[in-house]
Amino acid sequence: MKTVIVRPERCVGCWQCRLACAVEHSQTKDLAAALGEEVRPRPRLRIYPGRQHLAFPNKCRHCEPAPCQAVCIAGAIHRTPRGTVDIDPGKCINCAMCAMACPFGVLTYASLYKAPDHRAVALKCDQCPEREAQGRVPACVEACKVGALTYGEWQETQEDKGRVLAQAVFASLQSPRETEPSLPDNLRVWRLLS
Amino acid sequence: MRYVIIGASAAGQAAAETLRQWDPQGSITVISDEAQPLYSRPLLTYLLSGEIRPEKVWLKGADYFQEWGFEARLGEEVVQVVPADREVRLASGRVCPYDRLLIASGARPKVPGIPGEDLEGVFTLRTLADWRRLESGLEGVRQVVVVGAGAVGLKTADALMRRGFEVTLLARGAQPLSRMLDATAAAMLMDAVATMGIDLRCHSWPVALKGDGGRVKKLILNSGEELPAQAVLFSVGVTANVDFLEGTGLGDPGGILVDRKLRSRDPRIFAAGDCCRPHHLLSPGQWPYHIWPAAVDQGRVAGANMGGGSRLYPGLLPQNSLSLRGFKIISGGLGPHDTKDCEIVAELDQSRGHYRRLAYREGRLVGLTLVGAVAEAGIYFQLMAQGLPAPEPVTPGLLWG
Repeated sequence: MKTVIVRPERCVGCWQCRLACAVEHSQTKDLAAALGEEVRPRPRLRIYPGRQHLAFPNKCRHCEPAPCQAVCIAGAIHRTPRGTVDIDPGKCINCAMCAMACPFGVLTYASLYKAPDHRAVALKCDQCPEREAQGRVPACVEACKVGALTYGEWQETQEDKGRVLAQAVFASLQSPRETEPSLPDNLRVWRLLS
Repeated sequence: MRYVIIGASAAGQAAAETLRQWDPQGSITVISDEAQPLYSRPLLTYLLSGEIRPEKVWLKGADYFQEWGFEARLGEEVVQVVPADREVRLASGRVCPYDRLLIASGARPKVPGIPGEDLEGVFTLRTLADWRRLESGLEGVRQVVVVGAGAVGLKTADALMRRGFEVTLLARGAQPLSRMLDATAAAMLMDAVATMGIDLRCHSWPVALKGDGGRVKKLILNSGEELPAQAVLFSVGVTANVDFLEGTGLGDPGGILVDRKLRSRDPRIFAAGDCCRPHHLLSPGQWPYHIWPAAVDQGRVAGANMGGGSRLYPGLLPQNSLSLRGFKIISGGLGPHDTKDCEIVAELDQSRGHYRRLAYREGRLVGLTLVGAVAEAGIYFQLMAQGLPAPEPVTPGLLWG
């Protein structure tokens, strides 16, 4: 299953992914119109500020097995045929058991236009099913300009990264040690890995 | 190998499924005094409020037992377990012999033992049958008193308020959820409860119920005050269903004592769920803690061990999530009474209605209360469950998001 790969060392905290996510999950799917919608659409990922310029994007990993699914007392959380973990707003009772169970803290609770009576329900990344059906990448991936969020099979990404790291280690063992300018950690790592 | 499981709810069902994976051929008999397939007990208060429809409570379909190859004895009551003969005896006269037995019989609601309890119009809420009885019993009722301001009492009081009843909620102590919340969090809860229009009385306890024509008419408080009520609901805790263990030495109403493999003193008998008294993760000693996910976890461990596995139950981590019309409190780990020797870090944001209380012991998080901003609770629970060293939040709000 293709999934959103996060490279936190690249994130600059611009929040464009959050904006794109909210717009994608709005009724109109248009930024200007979304701002005026009766039920304000919410982003399903969080960006935590860190020290220096490091920011950390945090979103649902669609775990297998999913702790949120195991603990949902309303049976609202299920796995879709494509492999993502989905919350049914028609069944969700807003009890926050999933928040207790999720080790990554990716849930949020807010009104949803799709929920009966627009009531507040549990919200999280759903990996943009409508976009995927159209052969497009998720909204956050499309919005990210620095490559902190990419879309692909995680095993392939893992192999690529492993290969690049091995090459970098090999290269550093070959050349004599040079004094490098002092850079922030994320930029140094970015240069090494890209 | 003959396996018998008493109880087909959270623990019993989790155990049966796990057991089936360990032993695909063995005979698994599941006995339940309830005649329906598995439903979600925590949803009963949502049924009561009308937030969900009755058809939404089912967690398994009607042919669940057949699909899994379980022999189901539904609507049957266990009258005796005889370890010497390795038999479970049912009220119908049927006998179920076992090689391994799991007791997942749960617990039943307590009643305080006051005069007038046996009047018509007195209820508890634990099963689907209780809910049906309550629904028909609420006809013509105007005033309801809910006794006990725990999680169930609070949800029930809210549900009845939404339905248009006049509700009085009685808390025995100075605050609701006395074992889970400190004074600050409790004050925030009491504000929210007052905003919902629930008449909450603290330090209040019924001493007698008075009736008229066999039906409850009023409730006499410890203060002497008389509350008119046509229905009274007791939510004052539960006691383990262990009557059928009389004579075995295993049946402690405070919960069946189990070891870390969830085995009782009898090596062929296991116990899981609300009826047992498991080890806890963060504190020594064993005592019951009644919550659905814990029952499922215990069921899985017991089921595996019945089937020949050797899994250890890591210990129960108390956790609770309360959501009352959007007002949320999540608490877990050690409660305020058990964290007196811990370092406490507490942050209150009154304007937003957010409160966070963290209890640390030797650099590890052991207690948590979140009011309002509860969405990231799971991260804290992972820290507690894994015993990870957790630095105190130096810049509150920033590092923890």
